[in-house]
Order: sequence, then C-alpha cells, then structure tokens
Amino acid sequence: MSEIYVITSGKGGVGKTTTTANLGMGLAMRGKKVVLVDTDTGLRNLDLLLGLENRIMYDLIDVTEGRVPYKKALVRHKKYENLFLLPTSQVKDKSAVNPEQLVKLCDELRQEFDYILIDCPAGIEQGFKTAIAAADVAIVVTMPEISAVRDADKIIGELGRADKENIKLIVNRIRPQMVQSGDMLDMDDINDILSLECIGQVPDDEMVVTSTNRGEPCVALNSSQAGQAYRNIVGRICGEPIPFMTFQKEGWFTKLKHVLGI
Amino acid sequence: MSEDMVKIKGGSLGLSLTFAPQASYEDIFRNLQEKLESGSGFFLRGTMVFLPRDVLSDAEREELQRLFHEHGLICRLQPLENEKPAAQQAAPAAPAATAQQEAAASHNAETQEMLVVNKTVRGGQEIRTNSSVLVCGNVNPGAQIIAGGSIDVRGICRGMVHAGAFGDTSAIVVADHLMPTQIRIASFIARSPDQMDMTEKAERASIKDGQIVIEPIER
Repeated sequence: MSEIYVITSGKGGVGKTTTTANLGMGLAMRGKKVVLVDTDTGLRNLDLLLGLENRIMYDLIDVTEGRVPYKKALVRHKKYENLFLLPTSQVKDKSAVNPEQLVKLCDELRQEFDYILIDCPAGIEQGFKTAIAAADVAIVVTMPEISAVRDADKIIGELGRADKENIKLIVNRIRPQMVQSGDMLDMDDINDILSLECIGQVPDDEMVVTSTNRGEPCVALNSSQAGQAYRNIVGRICGEPIPFMTFQKEGWFTKLKHVLGI
Repeated sequence: MSEDMVKIKGGSLGLSLTFAPQASYEDIFRNLQEKLESGSGFFLRGTMVFLPRDVLSDAEREELQRLFHEHGLICRLQPLENEKPAAQQAAPAAPAATAQQEAAASHNAETQEMLVVNKTVRGGQEIRTNSSVLVCGNVNPGAQIIAGGSIDVRGICRGMVHAGAFGDTSAIVVADHLMPTQIRIASFIARSPDQMDMTEKAERASIKDGQIVIEPIER
C-alpha cells in the first residue's frame, strides 16, 4: 500500500527540502522503497542535499512531457539502494508541469514504491497547486516564528480548499533555550493557532547545516539531535507510537539522579 | 464569450444572475457548473443567489436550484421589480444611512437565519453572508467574517469580524476568547490593543452610546 506525501509550508526557508531529504532517507533506512520528487522547478535543491547533483541525466519535465519513461530519470542514492530521487529541471519554471501530469506520474510511481515524497515549492501559486494535486497526506512544516505560523495557517486553509483533509504538522528549528526563556513560541502557542496533529518537533541543530553541505542528511547521524528527531518522525509515519523527545539540557545533578534511578 | 453568458451582479441580498438572451439553457447550466466547481471564491457557501424570472421553465429552475444547493448556496427567484430598488440602493459600500436602515429592516427576517461553520476559519479565508454566523472552531488571524447579523465564535477569535455589515446596529459579536485584530459592528470600528493577552472569560461586543463596548458574559 503506497502513500503519497507532500511536504509544504507556504513560507520559504523553514526546511521543506531538508525535511523531505531526511524523511526519505529515514524511510529508506527502514527498508522501504522510497522516491523523492522535487517539484521546485527552477530552484532545485533536493539533489544537493542528497549529494546526487552530478548523477542527474533526465528530469521531471522530460518525464511529464513524455520524452523519457520515469525510470530513466530516477537517480538511485549512493548508499541506500531503495532510495530514489526524481529531480526537476533547473532551467524551466513552475509552469512546465501541471497538476494532471503530476497525478498521472504519481499513479505510475505508486505501482513501484512504498512511499512517494513530494517536495513542494514555497508560495501558494501554480507550483504549490501542482505539488499537492496527487498527495494523500500533506505534511506542513513550520518554525516557531509568527510569520511561519501565519503562513502555515494559510497553507492549511488552501489544502482544505483542495480537499486535502489529512494534514500533519512538523515544527522545525526549535531552539529549546529560547523557548524556555519565553523568547520563542512554544508548542502550545502553535497548537493554539494551527490545531493540527503534530508528528515531529525538530530542534535547531548545527549538524543540519554541515550535513546539508556534505550532501548527507543528518537522519543517518547518531550524534545529531535533529537526526534523532527525524528518525522519530519516520517511526511515527510507520505507525509506531513514539513519545516526543525533551530538549532541555540536563544538568549534571539530574543526570546523576537518572543514573541512580531516582 | 462564455464570460458574458451569465452575468453576476452583487447586491445587498446576494448575487443576481442574468442570462444572455441568445444562450441556450444547456450552455448556461454548464457555465454555472464550471464556475461553481472552480471554487473561485465568488460563490461562497450560504450566499443567496437569485435567478431571473420568466426565463426558465420549472424543470430548468429546479435543476439549477439543485446545482446551487449541492454547493451550499441558497437559490431563489429574483424578487419582483417593485421590491428591488431598495436592495439595489444598499449595494454600494457606503450608502446613505436611511437606505441602509431600510435594507436592514427588510432583511430582518433573513438575519434570523444562521450560517453554521463547523471548522476553524484560517488566515486568508473569508466568510461573507447576509445571515448570522456561528463558528464552532477558531477564527485565526488573517481570517475575515462579514455577517449581516451577529457573530458567535465558540473558540478563539483572532481574525477580523464585522457584524451587522449591512447596517444592523443591534448586531453583536460573542466569542469564548474575544481577541480579534478588529471588531466592526455596522459602521463602527474598534481595534485591539497592541499587546493582547489570552482572555479568561467569554465576551460580548455590542454598540452602546455610539461606540463598541466589550463586556464579559457567562455561558
């Protein structure tokens, strides 16, 4: 039973592409057969995050316009054999693909893959409408920041208008210290406005930047807090009840208490 | 060409349709169906739509009414000519107060009706109706509710709410947590303070002595 997820946010820079790369790789690490479809035509990044830029032969536009079958455009990941990328074109723009073409393509992909993750462009225009057309589930990524939450709210409204009722929330780039000191929106504030089922809270982690630059998503790094958060999200997508992690840095005293089992 | 087949004119009561004389019924039906399914936001749920008199057969009228009904709109025949002028006058944004009052009075029966919205109204969404509105959910920042009658929000109200939008100064706004960016009642406007904390009790906004007054209520 394959499922199509679209990862969207409205606002740019909240981590849609990073989330897509990490969830895709996380699912592949669990042995699922996954394809990541980049629909951010003209501003493609997903290939960089996966370190696959130099292996691209054909792109999404070649496939939707019928020049090559989709199998020829898929790029297999270096390390995980069941993770594929369907990159988009860097020279065309968003008008090159329409929703019907993407729906048709996703129907074909459904036959072969367990999970199809679509990376949505920022904004609410044509590109967004195309990206969400085929999705069964929408994952809205937001940040604990008032503008990102507002835009997420708008996006949820737009998704509702397109009859996408299965919507999940990921809150990205949380800074625990700032939340604790009351300088950043906390989960209650976000829930107040968005009231959506949250499947992930990802802390702001420097390793995300370094792993992005290297082209190796941090979900594979055991030492990364964000990587752990992404692994938890993957588990939840697979239906496991995983509690949310707490970010507070433990003092040595509480750590000692834990060790002693008090 | 197809744009001119059906003309839509907004009035204070709702939307009046006129059909081009040369257009066949099938074309009109298809045209309206496309417009409704495109979800352009023109035909909002709960909007009153008036069909022209003396153009359609009974069967055709029933079919159109069913079409509008499926999309949540209320479909009636155009009121008779002698009733029309008052409604037409009230259509501009700032009509004379008397015309507004008249229009409000003639729609009193209508404002008794209520539109129930069973979900959260999110930023960028707008609900516009001649009747009163009951929202079972939140009204988020950036959302707008414009109602001919009163507005009741069973949840947090942070958007812009306009009650009595067609001149009814007796309209009120009630919410479990009333903290909108703006409250408008008839032609009065109140703005929220720049710093707003979560309210404890349900509150009601109404017009008293020429200004909008907000007071806590029990419910």
